[in-house]
Amino acid sequence: MSIVTQPQATEAPARGRLNWTILVAGVIVGGWIVLAVFAPWIAPYDPNAVDILHALAAPSADHWFGTDQVGRDVLSRVIHAARIDLVMCIAGVLPPLLIGTTVGLLSGYYGGVVDTLLMRLYDLTAAFPFFVLVLAIVGILGPGLLNFFIALALVGWVTYARLVRAEVMSIRDSEYIQAAQCLGYSDRVILTRHVMPNAFGPVLAYAVSDSVLVMLAGASFGFLGMGAQPPTAEWGVMISDGSAFIRQAWWICMFPGLATISLGLGLAFLGDGLGQLRRRQVSA
Amino acid sequence: MNSAVKALVPATGPLLQIDGVSVSFGSAQVLKDVSFQIAAGEIVGIAGESGSGKSTICRSAMGLLPSTAEVSGSIRLGERSLLTLGEAEWSGIRGREMGMIFQNPASHLDPLRRVGSQIAQPMIRHLGLSRKEAMERAVALLDDVGIREPAMRAKSYPHELSGGMKQRVMIAAAISCAPKLLIADEPTTALDVTVQAKILELLKDLNARRGLGIVLISHDLGVLADICSRIVIMRQGEIVEQGQTAQIVEDPRHPYTQLLVNSQPGRKKLRSGWGKPGVQEPLLQVDGLTVSFPVKRNILDMLRNRTPGRFKALDGIGLAVQAGETVGIVGESGSGKSTLARTIIRQNTPAAGTVRLDGRDIGGLSGAELSAYRRNVQMVFQNPYDSLNPRMTAIETIAEPIWRHGLADRRTAGEEAARLLDMVELPRALGERKPRQLSGGQCQRVGIARALALKPRLLIADEITSALDVTTQAQILELLARLQRERELTLLYISHDLSVVSSFCQRVYVFRNGRIVETGAAQEVLTRPREAYTQELVASLHRLPGGSAAMAETQAGA
Repeated sequence: MSIVTQPQATEAPARGRLNWTILVAGVIVGGWIVLAVFAPWIAPYDPNAVDILHALAAPSADHWFGTDQVGRDVLSRVIHAARIDLVMCIAGVLPPLLIGTTVGLLSGYYGGVVDTLLMRLYDLTAAFPFFVLVLAIVGILGPGLLNFFIALALVGWVTYARLVRAEVMSIRDSEYIQAAQCLGYSDRVILTRHVMPNAFGPVLAYAVSDSVLVMLAGASFGFLGMGAQPPTAEWGVMISDGSAFIRQAWWICMFPGLATISLGLGLAFLGDGLGQLRRRQVSA
Repeated sequence: MNSAVKALVPATGPLLQIDGVSVSFGSAQVLKDVSFQIAAGEIVGIAGESGSGKSTICRSAMGLLPSTAEVSGSIRLGERSLLTLGEAEWSGIRGREMGMIFQNPASHLDPLRRVGSQIAQPMIRHLGLSRKEAMERAVALLDDVGIREPAMRAKSYPHELSGGMKQRVMIAAAISCAPKLLIADEPTTALDVTVQAKILELLKDLNARRGLGIVLISHDLGVLADICSRIVIMRQGEIVEQGQTAQIVEDPRHPYTQLLVNSQPGRKKLRSGWGKPGVQEPLLQVDGLTVSFPVKRNILDMLRNRTPGRFKALDGIGLAVQAGETVGIVGESGSGKSTLARTIIRQNTPAAGTVRLDGRDIGGLSGAELSAYRRNVQMVFQNPYDSLNPRMTAIETIAEPIWRHGLADRRTAGEEAARLLDMVELPRALGERKPRQLSGGQCQRVGIARALALKPRLLIADEITSALDVTTQAQILELLARLQRERELTLLYISHDLSVVSSFCQRVYVFRNGRIVETGAAQEVLTRPREAYTQELVASLHRLPGGSAAMAETQAGA
């Protein structure tokens, strides 16, 4: 018999109206990436050029965002700082993501004693506030960006592991994994080709929102003097430096603050939008 | 068609009259000009496949459509027009004059309330009974719907009841205010066949004793033919045919009705199997197979220091399958039939006993020998969507085992996969699609093609058609029978549906609680069951009367 009588499956679901959240987020984040990449060409001044004669100048046609206490152009510093802060987002998110995903995959798929132990480790980590734990580790290792990233990786991976593990445990029992086992694929193939691609969606969405946290943490640690070290242009460091002059020169703190907020919002929207997109795909 | 319908209307005027009802959601029209009637005390069946609109028509009669639906036409209950009612007036009708029961009773019962008070609730509300009176009546109703020890059961929570009992509770709640009409939307689909038979018996009994009018929605024409006086056949939102049950079943006029009737399992004897006569070494031999799972230990057991017991999913099973045979495994949920399949493909480790292929114990296989075993034994799974990786296209899914087993390079594997698509009668253009862009039947064909990619000798099919519509099921079975001859397959066909198994298989094993209760030639078991349990299974079959080879020849020219 022919298959004509079968109901035809609907075509690929129409893309529907454009996902505005993702578009707005993309413009903000993309804008910052462009600014960061082309910073030397876009920034009107050298970010570290001291011009003591024009210190604490208010925003003007020459210095759109004004100058700081030693006469450095705030606009140029905000643009150059985007490089540090964006790199921080990536360097702060990738290591925990890679470690966490690997651990989550293995412990979710095989289960057993190792899985139980890892989950207790998670509970232990989750019992401490994120910032306090990172602060404690950086305190032990000493200030500096590298130590900050190490602390982030040590604390951050458990969340990814937990997330991936939960996904893997539901995928593990699905029939396409049973089919893959029945077809005699190796565990490595099943994990990387069949489990992982289907477990990765929520991880990606979380990683983007996590980068907001990392960026804020980076700025906070810069502010506290435990992250990027002056005179490096970094938003948190800039806010910290300018805080002493907040009464005379609000612009020193204000513009890096706005930059932090806009990138943070952009990333948060992006994470949210990706999550929505994924849910829509799943329900389609 | 209209004149035929008018002739059927009884003189007293219909209980429920549905006239020219169309329903659309935005631009999608889901019901087109649907008209039918139900007389008081009548059982009318609505048959149709998924997406035919059979649930939508009943939901519109109950005023349960979402507010986005645009409804036109008229629905009258006695003298009252229903479509113009406000929500306040509706609540005086729902539960009072019309009751409804659903496919999945578990999701329609409040898990936090005792079932007795859930049955009493509508009586307190609609009939103004006191709590005490209502509870007494609830107990009486539970007795009425055939629940033993009703006073005790009224105090149970839904999770303490089995699926069949939950459905009985739903029915008790639906009839508590003595409505004139009960709408039953696939009330037995989620239940085992023997339980299904009992629930249908209960509905028939309520109809006879209380004069309850019933609209019974089902995809299973056999069920409807058994208890309905009239049947309405729906397809794609339209009524294609309606009439007396005998006429629909024995003399269907519309081509779609004919297709539906002929697709009923057991209508057509499929030619399957190619084995040579005579005794030979069996291809698959299972001896004394026992598989057990640990029962979860609760905190009380821990305090008492009791070791958790083990639940035996399979208890000393022995069976043999000859090359070229089609062997059926029948049983209800929890009988261990899927555990057997999973043990053969080495997903479960047996606690005792052996599984042998060609005389070799498969328990100790590893490395290259295990790979060879995988190529020999393959399986098709139950859920068409869940059994395919949602991120891979059909052609990738089918080609993957070929190149992973080193039978061809990736390009050649792709070409072989395209040939396999032809073989399972899927257009090659569909090969580029992902599972969610395919229908259930198409996904199941991809699953079959993937299983055949390694050219196995033994193919295990575990409930592969139970998630599909009946016409699709008939096509898949025919495909499987053809592939079996062409590719010299030996088939182990697992199903809860005795009629499918007996029309398709040569030999049958009947499973219950992890043991084999009966075995024999399929026809023999179906016509002359020896064991009480098998007799019960056979009795619960809903087969259409008649059913002959001649009917099967008049296939719809669809």
